Amino acid sequence: MIDSFKKLGELAQGRDLADVFLESDAREHGVPAEQIIEALTKRRQVMRDCIERGKGGGTSMGKLVGNEAKLLNEAFLAGKTFLDPLTVKAELYALSVMGENSRMGVIVAAPTAGAGGVVPGMLLALEEERNVDPAKTVRALVVAGGVGSIVALSAHISGAAGGCQNEVGVATAMGAAAVAYMMDGTPQQSISAAALALKNTLGLVCDPVGGLVEVPCVKRNALFAVHGLTAAQLALAGVESVIPMDEVVEAMVRIGRALPRGLKETAEGGLATTATGCAIGDRLKDEANQRRAQRAEERERLAHERKAGVAS
Amino acid sequence: MGPVMVGPSSSHTAGTARLGRVAREILDDDPVFVRFVLHPPLAATYRGHGSDFALVGGSIGLNVDDPRIPEAIRIAEQMGVEIEFAEEDMGEVHPNTVRVEIRSRSRSVQIAGSSIGGGVIDVFNINGFSAHFKGDSPTLLLFYRDRPGMISEITGIIADEGINIASLACSRKQRGKDAFMQIDVDSPMSKEALAHICATPDVAEAKYLDRIP
Ligand code: SF4
Repeated sequence: MIDSFKKLGELAQGRDLADVFLESDAREHGVPAEQIIEALTKRRQVMRDCIERGKGGGTSMGKLVGNEAKLLNEAFLAGKTFLDPLTVKAELYALSVMGENSRMGVIVAAPTAGAGGVVPGMLLALEEERNVDPAKTVRALVVAGGVGSIVALSAHISGAAGGCQNEVGVATAMGAAAVAYMMDGTPQQSISAAALALKNTLGLVCDPVGGLVEVPCVKRNALFAVHGLTAAQLALAGVESVIPMDEVVEAMVRIGRALPRGLKETAEGGLATTATGCAIGDRLKDEANQRRAQRAEERERLAHERKAGVAS
Repeated sequence: MGPVMVGPSSSHTAGTARLGRVAREILDDDPVFVRFVLHPPLAATYRGHGSDFALVGGSIGLNVDDPRIPEAIRIAEQMGVEIEFAEEDMGEVHPNTVRVEIRSRSRSVQIAGSSIGGGVIDVFNINGFSAHFKGDSPTLLLFYRDRPGMISEITGIIADEGINIASLACSRKQRGKDAFMQIDVDSPMSKEALAHICATPDVAEAKYLDRIP
């Protein structure tokens, strides 16, 4: 079993990182490589479809977000963006996925839904802008998934367990490793990219306004997609993380434990308890109560009708 | 990579939908009543993350990637399923923990489990017995009256089928009383083998669950 990044580095030396993960899955879980590639080919397509839908915008369930992707796309198409196209697309695609997510659309959890924009944002923007073979993107998803699963051996991947570092942070690390792989980096460079990316998200708290995966989550995914690209860039240039990836993960777990409960998805701290955050939270609660009352009424009406039906 | 799913949160929608689904699969009948008891941190956040839709969706048999999940509560009402939410502190458990009490006209099942992120679940209690069910491999759940030789009889039947047992765990309430066995197997089990197991003396009930999607 590949249970640490140290071991991964040893096993993968001079080899293709995706092959190393695929072989290990075949050996331990009896899942043949073709089957994994097939499943991930489907995942890539779900990501693509989701990005296309998401560009069109729409309103989120909590009505706090939804049109970020549309706005950025319009600016991009009008030639009004100043960043290079790769960066803009990484942001744009991450926003698209998260927009869909906030409308309860179909997405791929990577590794979670709340952090589901980071990996597709980075990978699919890179695929388009640098003409990467889609089959290679699929293999990069193997790498991303592999990195995520090693982290998951020592850390719960959820904001409730350790804050947003455990979600968006881990997604960024997965994406950075996958990007280094797509750009023909060595396995060591992928691991360095993951370490650099994760190191710089440590301490990120989970403080969703009103408890919804909308604010800050949607835009956070976009900004961290870019963060992941820059981590991969450094690693590809030969920059290494002084703290090895395994120890970065350990640090993340310790920080997660030390974070107060209010900053772990409970919506009882951080942005959620700012003046605006509280006002939104109150409004959402009122609306939920109204909906509940409506549903109760509806139920009563149905019961009434049923009774009347029986009587006649 | 995590599952293909309906947003917005893998702990709160994918995982919780699967927890609801586990209860529904064990019940193995049309539910008429489902009660979700939420651990306080989950109770604080579940509505915003759509967990209410997801829990209900799973409990009426929807998959995590079913686009009808956002409509699940309405669908359940149309199916005549009564839904209830409650809150209860369950002590030292994962923040996203829920107990699902589900009833059909003739049967009832109760499970408790946590949604631990990325759609992964850990069901740690089934009908009052401690369990370790993740829904990621075919599993046989057995409720029986404890007696010597039971385990070897059951595992014998499974071995005769040429099926490899990945893991086996038992728990019981009292010696010679009600007991529970969870057997994770490597490959799907035939109806005949299951019937054979059901017919074993002192087996009250055997439930075979495939992977929970
Ligand atoms: S802030 Fe919390 S809910 Fe939002 S993406 Fe991060 S971990 Fe998920």
